[in-house]
Amino acid sequence: MTPPTAVGTTRPEAVTESVPRRRQGWIERATSTDHKSVGVLYIGAALVFGVAALTALVVMRVQLIVPENTTMDPEIFNRILSSFAVTGVVLFAIPLALGLISYISPLQVGARGVAFPRLNLFSFWLYVAGGFTIYGSFLWRPSEAGFGALPPLSEPLYANTNGVDAWIVGAALAILGFVCFAVNMIVTLRNMRAPGMAWRRVPPFTWAANLGSYLLVICGPVMLAALVMLFIDRQFGGVFFDPGYDGAPLLYEHLAWFFFTGAFTFLVVFAAGVISDVLPPFSRKPLFSQRAVAACMLAIAILGPLAWMRNMYTAPIPTAFLVFAMMCAIALTVPIGLLIFNWIATLWGGILQARAAPLYAIGAISAMTIGLAGDLAWSLIPVGWQMEHTTAAQGSTIAVIVGASVLGGFAALHYWLPKITGRLMGDGLGKVALVAILLGLYVFELMSFLAGVKGQPVDVYKFFGGEGLDGYNLAASIAVFVMAVGILLELGNAAYSYGRGVVTGHDPWAGSTLEWYATSPPPIHNFDVVPDVRSAEPLHDIRRAIRGRTEAWRPPTGRPGTERSTPETRTVGG
Amino acid sequence: MASRKTARRLVISFALAGIALALLAAPAGASILGPTAGHSPNADDIRTAYWVAIVIAALLIVAVHAFLIVALLRFRARRGRSPHVFTAGARAFVRPAAPLVAVAVGLFVFGIVMMTRARDVQATGSEGLGADSNLVAQVNGLSIPPTSKPLNINVIGQRWLWRFEYPGGRPGDRVFSYGQLVVPVDTAVLLHLTSTDVTHRWFIPALGGQVDALPGQDVGTWFRADEVGTYHGQSMSFSGSGFAAMRAWVRVVTPEEYQQFIADKREQLTAAQDYVQKKLNETAPPAVGP
Repeated sequence: MTPPTAVGTTRPEAVTESVPRRRQGWIERATSTDHKSVGVLYIGAALVFGVAALTALVVMRVQLIVPENTTMDPEIFNRILSSFAVTGVVLFAIPLALGLISYISPLQVGARGVAFPRLNLFSFWLYVAGGFTIYGSFLWRPSEAGFGALPPLSEPLYANTNGVDAWIVGAALAILGFVCFAVNMIVTLRNMRAPGMAWRRVPPFTWAANLGSYLLVICGPVMLAALVMLFIDRQFGGVFFDPGYDGAPLLYEHLAWFFFTGAFTFLVVFAAGVISDVLPPFSRKPLFSQRAVAACMLAIAILGPLAWMRNMYTAPIPTAFLVFAMMCAIALTVPIGLLIFNWIATLWGGILQARAAPLYAIGAISAMTIGLAGDLAWSLIPVGWQMEHTTAAQGSTIAVIVGASVLGGFAALHYWLPKITGRLMGDGLGKVALVAILLGLYVFELMSFLAGVKGQPVDVYKFFGGEGLDGYNLAASIAVFVMAVGILLELGNAAYSYGRGVVTGHDPWAGSTLEWYATSPPPIHNFDVVPDVRSAEPLHDIRRAIRGRTEAWRPPTGRPGTERSTPETRTVGG
Repeated sequence: MASRKTARRLVISFALAGIALALLAAPAGASILGPTAGHSPNADDIRTAYWVAIVIAALLIVAVHAFLIVALLRFRARRGRSPHVFTAGARAFVRPAAPLVAVAVGLFVFGIVMMTRARDVQATGSEGLGADSNLVAQVNGLSIPPTSKPLNINVIGQRWLWRFEYPGGRPGDRVFSYGQLVVPVDTAVLLHLTSTDVTHRWFIPALGGQVDALPGQDVGTWFRADEVGTYHGQSMSFSGSGFAAMRAWVRVVTPEEYQQFIADKREQLTAAQDYVQKKLNETAPPAVGP
C-alpha cells in the first residue's frame, strides 16, 4: 500500500486507499450515498406510490359514479379514503419533489456531493419504511379515521383497531425522513456552492429547494409532535385530544392543518422553481426577473403556512385569528400573481419550442392558476363558510396539487431525464398524455365546483339522488378516468425512456444552469473541475468564452434559435 | 407592429365575448354556478360575498389564460425568428403589482365587512313568534343585540343524526326531536351546537354557513327563515361509516303551527313518560329479602 503521493496534495478528491469491491447492482443502488442515486430512488418510489394514490382516487370515483351506489361498503371506502390523502401528499408529491431536488440541486450549485450523504440515504429509507407501514396495515385492517386522522374520531373510543396506529407511525416515519432530508439540503446549499455562486445567482429551482427544505424543517416537526401526542393518547392513556378529559381536539386540527398547509405551499414553491427553470431554455430567453421570482417564492413560503387557519373557518376560533388567516391567504394573491406575470413575460417575445417539457410547465401554470383562484375565493371568511369541506374546495386543492406535482413533476422529468440517464423522454406520447391529463383535470375541477356549490360534502361514500348531483358526479368520475389514463401513459413513457429512450447529448436543451456542465449522467463526483461562476447563467458564459476562442462553434443541435450569440438584452420598466 | 395589434385585438375580443356570454347566460348561470337560494339574512350575505369572490376569481383565471394562449400562439419558434430578449428593470413590477394589491386589499376589507354582517343576529320580524323570555347567553363570534329576542335551540350532533332540544320545560325534560328541526318563520333562531361524540359540522345551505359541533363546547350560529318550507342540509365533517347519511332538515312553519308542534310533542312526551312509569310499576321487581 503506497501512501498518497503528490496528487493528493493538489487534488484531495483523487485520494483513495483502494478500489472498492464491485457489488451487485441492487445492493449498490440501495446503499449508495451518492445524492444522485438517492434522488433516483426517491423519484422511483414516489412514482410507485403515485400509482397507488391514483388507484385510490379511481376506486373512490367508481363508488361515486351513481347516486346511492352499493358497490362498496362504507368501511372499505373509508379505508381507501384514509390512505388516499397521505399517499397523495406525503408518499407521492413531496418525495417526487425531494427526489428531483436531491438529484439536481447539488449539481445546480456546483457541489461535488451533499453535506450529509448518509443522512440523505437514511431519509429515503425512513420514508419507504413509513410507506410500507401504512400499506402493511392493509394486510389486516387499515385506518378508517379519515384523511388526517382528526381526533376525537381517531381516539381509541371510536377507532379501536391498530390501523390508525399504523397510519400514525407510517406518516411520522415518512415526515421524519423529510426533516432529515431537509437538514441535509439546507446545509449543502449553504456551504457547498461553487465559488461565485452567490444566492442571487442560484437557479430558481434550487432556490425553491432551499425554501422547501426550510418549510419541511419548520412544518414537519409540528406534525410529528401532533402524531406523537395522538399516539400517546391511543397507546399510553394520554388525554391530549380527548374532550372527555378536557383535552383539545382543536389543537390537533391546528397542528395538522399547519403541516398540510405547509406541504401544500412546499408543492407550489417546488412547481414555481421547476417552471422558472424550464421556460427560459425553451423560449430562448432569460427569466424576466430572477430576483423577482426568488422574492415571490420567498413571500409564498412565508405567507402560505401562516394561513393554515384558513381551513378552519367553521371552528370556534377567536375572530382576530380568522381575520389574520384570511389576510395571509388573500395576500398570497400578490406574489402568486407576480410570479405568473413573470412567466408570461418570459414567454413573451421568445421563440417557444413546443417540446413536452415547456408545455407541461404551461399546463402546470394553468392548473395552478385555476386552483389557486378558487382557493382565493374560498379564503374570504363568509365564502369559506359556504364552500369549505365541499367538493368545490377539494376540486381546487386537487387542481393545485396535480398541477404542481404531476404536471410540474412531469415537466421536470421531461427536462431533467436526459441529465439523469442521457436519454430523452418520448415527446409525442408526452404531449398526448398532457392533453388527457389536462382535459380530465379541467372537467373534474369544473364538475367538483358545480357539485360543491350545491353543497356536496367531501369524504362521503355515497351521495343521494334527486338533488341534481347525479350528472356532476358521473362527469367527474369519467374525467378522473381520463386523467388517470393520461398519467399512466406518461408514467409508462418515463419508465420506457429510463432504459430505452433516444440517446441524446450531454446538454440537449442548451440550458444555462450548471447541471448541464456535467456529463449526462454525471460521474460520481459530478464535476472534474468546478467552474468559477460569474453570473446567473454560468453555462452561457462558458459557451461564450469557448466561442471566443474557436470561431467554428455551432449550436449543439440545429434547432432554430439555439444561436444566442449576440443577445441584445433590453430592460423594460426601468 | 401588426402582430402586437392582432394580439391586442384577440385579447379584447376574447374578453368581450366572455363578458357577452356571461351576461347572456347570467340568469341561467346563476342557478347552476351559484349556491341554492338563500332564505335567511346571513345566507344572503354569504351569497353576496360568494358572487363577488367568484367573479374576481373567474376574471383572474380568464386574464391569465388569455395571455398564456396569446403567448403560446404568437411566440413560437419559426424559421428565421430570433428571440426578442428583454429582462425586468427596477420598476417593471409596479404596474402589474398595483392592481393585484388593490384586488387583495379590496377583497380583504370586503371579507371582513361581509363576515361581520353575517354574524349580526337580526331581530325577529313582525310575522315571527313573539318575544321569547329566554336569557340570551353571549355566544362566541355572534353579536346579539338585546332587542333581537332569539329562540334558543340546542343542536346536538351524535353519530349519525342530529338531536334538537326546544326551549321551555326543565333541563333534562325538554321537548326534543331527531333529524328534523321545526322552527317558526321570520323568527331569529339561535342554535347552540355541541356534540356527544366526534366533531360534526352543521350546514343548511339555504340558512347560512357551516359551523362545527364539537364535544364539550357550545358553538353558536343563527338564522331567520323568511319563507315557510323545508330546507335540507348535511353534516360536513367526516365522522365514520355512517357519515354520508348524517343529513338534516329544517321545517319552517308559521308561529301557530310551531306552538302546536311543541304542544303535541309535549303531550307525546308526557304520555310516553306516563306509559313507562306505568310499566315500571306493573313489573316492579319483588322486594329483595332473605
